[in-house]
Amino acid sequence: MNKPVPAHNIGDYVPMIDGPDKVSGRAKFTADIVAPGQLAGRIYRSPYAHGEIVSVDVSEALKLPGVKAVVTGADCDKGFGVLPIARTEYPLARDKVRYRGEPVAAVAAIDDATAREALRRIKMTVSELPAYYTSQAALAPDAVQLHEKKPGNIERDVLYELGSTEQGFAEADLVRDGTYNCAEVCQNQMEMHAAVAEYDAVRNRMTVHASTQVPYYVHLMLAQILDMEMSRIRVIKPHVGGGFGCRTETLNVELIAALLARKAQGTVRIVTSREETFITHRGRPETDVRLKIGMRKDGRITAVECECDQRGGAHSGYGVVTILYAGSMLYAIYDLHNVKYVGRRVLTNTPPCGAFRGHGTVDVRFAFESLLDEMAAELGLDPFAVRRANFLTAPTFTDNDLMVNSYGLPECLDWVERESGWKTRKGKLPNGNSVRKGLGMACSHYVSGASRPVNWTGEPHATVKIKLDFDGSLVVLSGAADIGQGSTTILAQTVAEVLGLDLSRVRVVTGDSELVPKDNGSYSSRVTFIVGNAALDAARNLKALLVNAAARKLEARPEDIECLGEVYRAGAQDRGATFDEVVVEALKDSGTITVTGNYSTIPESHGGKKYRGAVIGGTMGYSYSAQVVEVTVDEETGVVTVDKVWVAHDCGKALNRLTVEGQVQGSVWMGMGQAMSEEAAYQDGLMVTANMLDYRVPTIQDSPPIEVGIVESNDPHGPFGAKEAGEGSLAAFLPALTAAITDAIGIRFNDLPVTPDRVFEAIEKRKRALEKKKGAA
Amino acid sequence: MARLLEFTLNGRDRVDAVADNMLLLDFLREKIGLTGTKTGCDGGECGACTVLIDDEPALSCLTLAATIAGKRVDTVESLGHDGQLSAVQRGFHEKLGAQCGYCTPGFVMASAGLLRRNPNPSEAEIIDALGSNICRCTGYVKIIEAVKYAASLNAQGVSP
Amino acid sequence: MDALPDFRVLNPETLDEALAARAQHPDSKPLGGGTDLVVNIRRGILAPSVLIDMNRVKELHAIKVDENSIEIGASVRLTALAQHSDVIAHYPVLAQAAAHIAGPTHRNMGTVGGNLCLDTRCIYYNQSEWWRAANNHCLKTTGSMCHVAPKSRGVCFATYSGDLAPALLTLQAEIDLAGPNGKRTIPLEHLYIGFARQDVPVTETQGDGKFFLSLRPGEIVVAVRAKNTPGLRSAYDKIRIRRSIEYPVAGVAVALKREGDKLTDLRIAFTGTNPRPVLLAGTAELCGGGIDERVIKGLDALVRDQIMPMKTTFTPGHYRRRVAGVLARRLMTRLYES
Repeated sequence: MNKPVPAHNIGDYVPMIDGPDKVSGRAKFTADIVAPGQLAGRIYRSPYAHGEIVSVDVSEALKLPGVKAVVTGADCDKGFGVLPIARTEYPLARDKVRYRGEPVAAVAAIDDATAREALRRIKMTVSELPAYYTSQAALAPDAVQLHEKKPGNIERDVLYELGSTEQGFAEADLVRDGTYNCAEVCQNQMEMHAAVAEYDAVRNRMTVHASTQVPYYVHLMLAQILDMEMSRIRVIKPHVGGGFGCRTETLNVELIAALLARKAQGTVRIVTSREETFITHRGRPETDVRLKIGMRKDGRITAVECECDQRGGAHSGYGVVTILYAGSMLYAIYDLHNVKYVGRRVLTNTPPCGAFRGHGTVDVRFAFESLLDEMAAELGLDPFAVRRANFLTAPTFTDNDLMVNSYGLPECLDWVERESGWKTRKGKLPNGNSVRKGLGMACSHYVSGASRPVNWTGEPHATVKIKLDFDGSLVVLSGAADIGQGSTTILAQTVAEVLGLDLSRVRVVTGDSELVPKDNGSYSSRVTFIVGNAALDAARNLKALLVNAAARKLEARPEDIECLGEVYRAGAQDRGATFDEVVVEALKDSGTITVTGNYSTIPESHGGKKYRGAVIGGTMGYSYSAQVVEVTVDEETGVVTVDKVWVAHDCGKALNRLTVEGQVQGSVWMGMGQAMSEEAAYQDGLMVTANMLDYRVPTIQDSPPIEVGIVESNDPHGPFGAKEAGEGSLAAFLPALTAAITDAIGIRFNDLPVTPDRVFEAIEKRKRALEKKKGAA
Repeated sequence: MARLLEFTLNGRDRVDAVADNMLLLDFLREKIGLTGTKTGCDGGECGACTVLIDDEPALSCLTLAATIAGKRVDTVESLGHDGQLSAVQRGFHEKLGAQCGYCTPGFVMASAGLLRRNPNPSEAEIIDALGSNICRCTGYVKIIEAVKYAASLNAQGVSP
Repeated sequence: MDALPDFRVLNPETLDEALAARAQHPDSKPLGGGTDLVVNIRRGILAPSVLIDMNRVKELHAIKVDENSIEIGASVRLTALAQHSDVIAHYPVLAQAAAHIAGPTHRNMGTVGGNLCLDTRCIYYNQSEWWRAANNHCLKTTGSMCHVAPKSRGVCFATYSGDLAPALLTLQAEIDLAGPNGKRTIPLEHLYIGFARQDVPVTETQGDGKFFLSLRPGEIVVAVRAKNTPGLRSAYDKIRIRRSIEYPVAGVAVALKREGDKLTDLRIAFTGTNPRPVLLAGTAELCGGGIDERVIKGLDALVRDQIMPMKTTFTPGHYRRRVAGVLARRLMTRLYES
């Protein structure tokens, strides 16, 4: 008899288990929920940037036949916001409007045409206030405050110095500084924001279908806004068409749909336009960075001073966390001491920013890597050598108490250096008449889940349940939100692997608060690590239970039972029992089996107390990434073409090589959009790029081949050794691109995006300077 | 104004009452209930709504239903036979051409249109043919692989 | 779900039916592929009560082409034009321009007539109803001010962005129009009147970004045609921030003749820069010799004088003008040397 072999999937190329639904059009997204009698919801938005509301007159709208409900700020006096310390936003503006596009009223009507007509009949009058569209304007000493409790229009300032920068700079052979500006960017996930709210008036229950990354947070905010017991609310997350961070907090759309449904005593669907999706925003803020680095001749960094201003928009959102991440994540990639950070999160009359992939880290990483590249050149060092001179040695704790247990950055650097042919090709690429080529490199990193949840309740950080019943199928119940990153597949793989079963035995149920355990949601790349560990725990618990049942059936001791997936046996000579037989035996004890798995991060990962907010940045494991970018620059037109990207990502262990590659490629490419073409721009606070023509997401014709190297550093705490794969490779693209452009044409760009007109202008400026010099000589 | 519209949807002839001002996209999704075709922008900027009209990719978000009388419209729901995914669907599934899946029906239909007129496209032809579709997840690398793989399956007899 | 304003769609099958429908419904709009018109209806920019679907009109679908001349019906799809082997062989500038429009699916839908009559564009105009109202509307719609040039004294600067027009202008094309008073043929150059001169009032021959076509009420485009010039070399190129979907930052068509070491004919036309496609005036003076410093500088001067992008796009006007000049020079040099 051949020895039965447990099925195995971890580390393979595994197509997503929900893939067939997506490619066939069967996958239901929120906007696809079409029910008879459903009302169409539409939102009336402020045309004013800043003003005190004098009146919102909806009487004419209410007279329109077919209008079933109208809500305004008067219908809800409860604030919301993702951070318990900053719940200052109302679903519909009260007293004041603070940005152009802020929801003021909403209508539910029998159809979309009627809802639109009703909006035209709403009249708002305001007493206008001065409005501020830049950080600088909002920070002016005489500026009117946007929020009563935020003097100076500062949402949060951060200041710390760890070590002595004075001493560090004194020890340096070279001190250089630079200023950097990164334009505001939007997630622009393909699915526009949508919500369907069903109010059951007879039983006073509310069901909300929300296109969200955080169903639990939506649940919390619905309870608060509706002033309803949480037990009366059900949140369902259908398929979600991407998030990238803009859905990591409750959005006004979800709350407004619920307010309308309750008032209309029915079901209301709101599907926002692309423009409204842009204006709902929660993108990456425009960021100004002033950075100073001290370096010894050998490339060793001796001191860092970083100032960072973020134009946060009109409400807090995740703002406090964003400005803290920008500072704390200076650490944990290189061995830094003597660091000073000054951060300011500014309130402005623009749509609220939020958590965008690589939350808080991206723009500062762009500045940091850019300055390293510049200083390396000045010291005659290879940019790889400068990174290697500053490696961390894991395990370690950084000066700001971040725990680093695994560190694959050295292997990442080796891989991209080798695969890109850096040593032989750098500086030797063939140039044409007006076309020049260049290579650039940079590094980045990211957390695998914030080690402390935003809402600290004392519960385990993740809970997964597995149900096993008469049919022998394993049903994994999890609140983790799959938004396309493949978390559902990872959970199925984890459970199947532990039990040695084929993936087809496993089904995963997610996204319905009525069925699945609470989960904090999909953000900060937490699911694989934190929920994955809970799934691992649950699977092991189930396995123990099945081994006990097998032992009973085979009349052996549990420690002698060998689990081979579809067969359990006691020793090599035993024919054993099939999985189905073991299940029947196991069910005799309790009927339907439900096991629970939990996971909590360890206290050492929680960051320190050296400054207020030092917990932000703490995680169980950091991913690392290195990139080499090859470009061609047309010096006459300013057009930059990315020819190829090599990226190596340390994800600890690739549980699924296919999805790791996909996540890394997607991150790199999203970094490319930010670096080269994307920008949320405003005209007096009106977003002029709130469409997909002017907000320039790269097309397939703009996108390079991206070769991915997977580095496996085997994190001691990660599930099977895994860390995150979906965010850490974004940031490195930006500085690697500008370094490559510098290599090609000798001009460094510190402002993003590097559009053709900017390249053209810089080349012209250099020409003029040279001519002037010639003229002078 | 409304009219009776005769056309062929996913291989079946049908007659529907349709308002003159209704977009084909909304007609498919809201009236017929074929929600596989997606809305991704405010008009013509993303390709998520791509369907085939007489085998050619078209944007259903800019097509008025009142202009398609007598034509053949194929949506993502038409693909696959005998319970099996089509070659393009298998390509997008097995090679991870789909992550969140929202742009996927549009990409799948644009790719199906390509393979119907050019069963063996080069990489450059694939890139040219998908230039009206935006994906925000993949960076397109695996989409290109997916279509190449689909072409190879098609060559082995799997319908596109 | 996107509820559009109420309108009727008429589906004429002959040119006479189309003209009759147009005459009967003065505020109707001819509908081609919808890639421009339907977008504008969805944005609340236009609300015609009747759309005339031109796609079934039999007379408008032909491409008649040989080495001597070309005639293209208004309802011909851009893909068909771009892929037509005789167009590629004899009128490369036209095939290339068609192949560069928007993206492949757009080109399956878009028509020649629609692209020629493409509405002018501006960041203050191509926005939603809510956005434009919040910005007090603009001259091109119902407002009283041009936000691009607040002191424009009633002149609109919206930019013309069609790609076929410059290509056809270098071929000295003519356009066939039909209307309530019969048919007429005019030089294509005369179709475009977006001169946007602040010193001249808007008339039938001197318009701006709002009144940019010389079409008379009820008139529709039937066909566009051109004669080949023996020995003419031609090509099209354009710059976009992204290589697909977008409208041009600047597009350039060049046609020239070289006899021996002499440039004997030079035609250059631009799009994406002014409220009309601009056929550069004065290029004849650059002919007579080879392509030397004089020609290059002369071309630069012509571009500087006649190409005047305003802040109608997110990309700065200065760059659009300069890069238009670069593309023109490159195409000219390449064609001359090929």
